[in-house]
Amino acid sequence: MKIISCIKPVPDPASRLSINENKTWIKDQDLTFVASEADNYALEEALRLKEKHGGEVVVLSVGGEEAARVLRSGLAMGADRAIHLLDPKFKGSDEFTTAAALAKAIEKDGGADLILAGVQSDDLGTGMTGTMIAAFLGCGHATVVVGVEANPDGRSLKVRRELEGGINETVELPMPATLTIQFGINQPRYASLKGIMAAKKKEFKVWSAADLGLEDRQIGRVGAMYEVKEILLPERKSKVEMISGTPEEAAATLVEKLRKEAKVL
Amino acid sequence: MIFVIAEHRDNRLKPITSELLAFAQRVGRDFSQPITAVVLGSDTAALVDELKAKKIDRVIAGEHQQFAEYMPDPYVQALKGIIEKEKAFLVLIGHTTQGMDFAPRLAVALRRPLIAGCVEYEKEGDRLILTRQIFNAKMNMKTMPRGEPPYVATASPGAFPADEVESGGNAQVVRLPVELQTTSQRKVLERVEAPKGQADLSSAPIIISGGRGLKEKQNFQLIFELAEAIGGSVGASRPVVDAEWLPREYQIGSSGQTVSPKLYFAIGISGAIQHLVGMQTSRCIVAINKDPEAPIFKVAHYGIVEDLFKVVPALTKIFKDLKQA
Ligand SMILES: Cc1cc2nc3c(=O)[nH]c(=O)nc-3n(C[C@H](O)[C@H](O)[C@H](O)COP(=O)(O)OP(=O)(O)OC[C@H]3O[C@@H](n4cnc5c(N)ncnc54)[C@H](O)[C@@H]3O)c2cc1C
Ligand SMILES: Nc1ncnc2c1ncn2[C@@H]1O[C@H](COP(=O)(O)O)[C@@H](O)[C@H]1O
Repeated sequence: MKIISCIKPVPDPASRLSINENKTWIKDQDLTFVASEADNYALEEALRLKEKHGGEVVVLSVGGEEAARVLRSGLAMGADRAIHLLDPKFKGSDEFTTAAALAKAIEKDGGADLILAGVQSDDLGTGMTGTMIAAFLGCGHATVVVGVEANPDGRSLKVRRELEGGINETVELPMPATLTIQFGINQPRYASLKGIMAAKKKEFKVWSAADLGLEDRQIGRVGAMYEVKEILLPERKSKVEMISGTPEEAAATLVEKLRKEAKVL
Repeated sequence: MIFVIAEHRDNRLKPITSELLAFAQRVGRDFSQPITAVVLGSDTAALVDELKAKKIDRVIAGEHQQFAEYMPDPYVQALKGIIEKEKAFLVLIGHTTQGMDFAPRLAVALRRPLIAGCVEYEKEGDRLILTRQIFNAKMNMKTMPRGEPPYVATASPGAFPADEVESGGNAQVVRLPVELQTTSQRKVLERVEAPKGQADLSSAPIIISGGRGLKEKQNFQLIFELAEAIGGSVGASRPVVDAEWLPREYQIGSSGQTVSPKLYFAIGISGAIQHLVGMQTSRCIVAINKDPEAPIFKVAHYGIVEDLFKVVPALTKIFKDLKQA
């Protein structure tokens, strides 16, 4: 089974984020980037499927140098090879143009039986990219996946989707297919020291927009389907009463208010 | 024309459908656009009745045996046909596990913009600006779809209050014969509800929930101690359950339990929309978080910006002392 696992580089969740001058994105110059959390679950699932059924796992990312870093971590975790879509022209991509580029790269690499993406990223967080890849490739898909099983026929899958309110739905679909992997599907492994060493010798391809045969109007900011008007901090039109003081004082004030004011204790 | 794609289960409209209609009615007023609700199903009579009671212009009912279960391909085929026949302005879909499943395919099929997870919108000049959350609700992004309409948008559950939807319409009902070129390759085998287990929180009066801010499994003991001292039940955000600190049944939010206790503590929980929809109707919400910008403070009644590892033990001590007194 050939599996392609998509990884999006996002700022380390511990970073303090601030909005850039033009208010079009965050200031991302001095940040450390890591794999978007759901992508770790996706890669772990890919590695487990390979361990069970054989084949290979390819990690794929669009982005600048930060993408190279998350791809190397993916190789260290156990992926067999990496494809980095690197081109200044990809900057400013939205989900649509990102998915178009990812789909082109998958085709150029000879296709795959299974394509895994995260259920949603930690930055844009819309959960659209994975399914858009499927739409561009014209293959089937399933979203919010919490379980994957290959059928004995080797041509189809049973996957469990997590719906609202704790309901799970099992669907069957043919391969090739694209799945968006939900948080918590497994416990992702950490890269071992051996894995980190081995990663250095693994194949690492870098493709530009021209390598993919993509024209300028199809990619990056030019091709994006929407413009970012402004990034801003959400308004707090809330009624919250903030309680200050030392931890002990705040705790005491809170208990007092819960009893006397809110009368919930 | 604004199209609202109705979501339903067991012959009832889901709450998100009313939220979408409320959203559509606001946009409709601002942009002078009529509203059509589209419902796809194998038997839509009851759903059509529910929809036409709302103040909208038209209900399109597309019936087909294949719509007995939701499936992305037949949905996209049918919707593309309906939308492309008219001068559509906006197509509204729920940002639910169903909407997330077909909206991206529909947008690619139409080659039109998709703005996903909208929480607000505004009109500037004659342009439609759609706002969504990024970085796990830490920031908002205002977007302008490019090019000619239609634009596809998914709305976050809970963002557009369903009780604002106006009823009393006189909607025209159109039954549309649906022809599908292919049968769905994807098939539903079964659907099961997760067992409620020990942590059925639906009637708990006090819930103390902890989130990823607790950092490690052992630290969750702090939450159990506070719950015991107050006499409350324990709940959790999703990452706590994903990391296996607690079983799945403790999870509160869109993919877990929905609760509405008289007192809810959110400790080390940022307040992502998927968590909020599961607890925001609680009578009194207390948030403890070291980040003053955390979105949880938007729904909280009382907030303490502080290290939880300092405040929680202090609270537990007070309740223990009160008990002894
Ligand atoms: C389809 C889908 C369904 C989902 N369903 C659910 C659901 O049902 N329920 C749910 O909860 N989530 C759900 N999620 C996940 C959701 O999007 C968020 O990722 C999640 O709610 C975040 O959990 P959290 O607040 O515990 O973690 P984080 O967002 O990481 O927040 C941790 C918080 O702790 C604070 N903190 C850290 N250290 C300290 C300290 N020492 N003292 C005080 N505060 C501290 C931080 O400031 C931060 O605000 C779902 C996601 C998807 C895609
Ligand atoms: N630049 C990218 N490179 C590789 N994969 C991506 C990229 N952007 C999005 N994805 C994949 O799509 C998923 C969902 O992202 P999003 O649609 O932004 O929520 C991510 O978890 C990744 O698996």
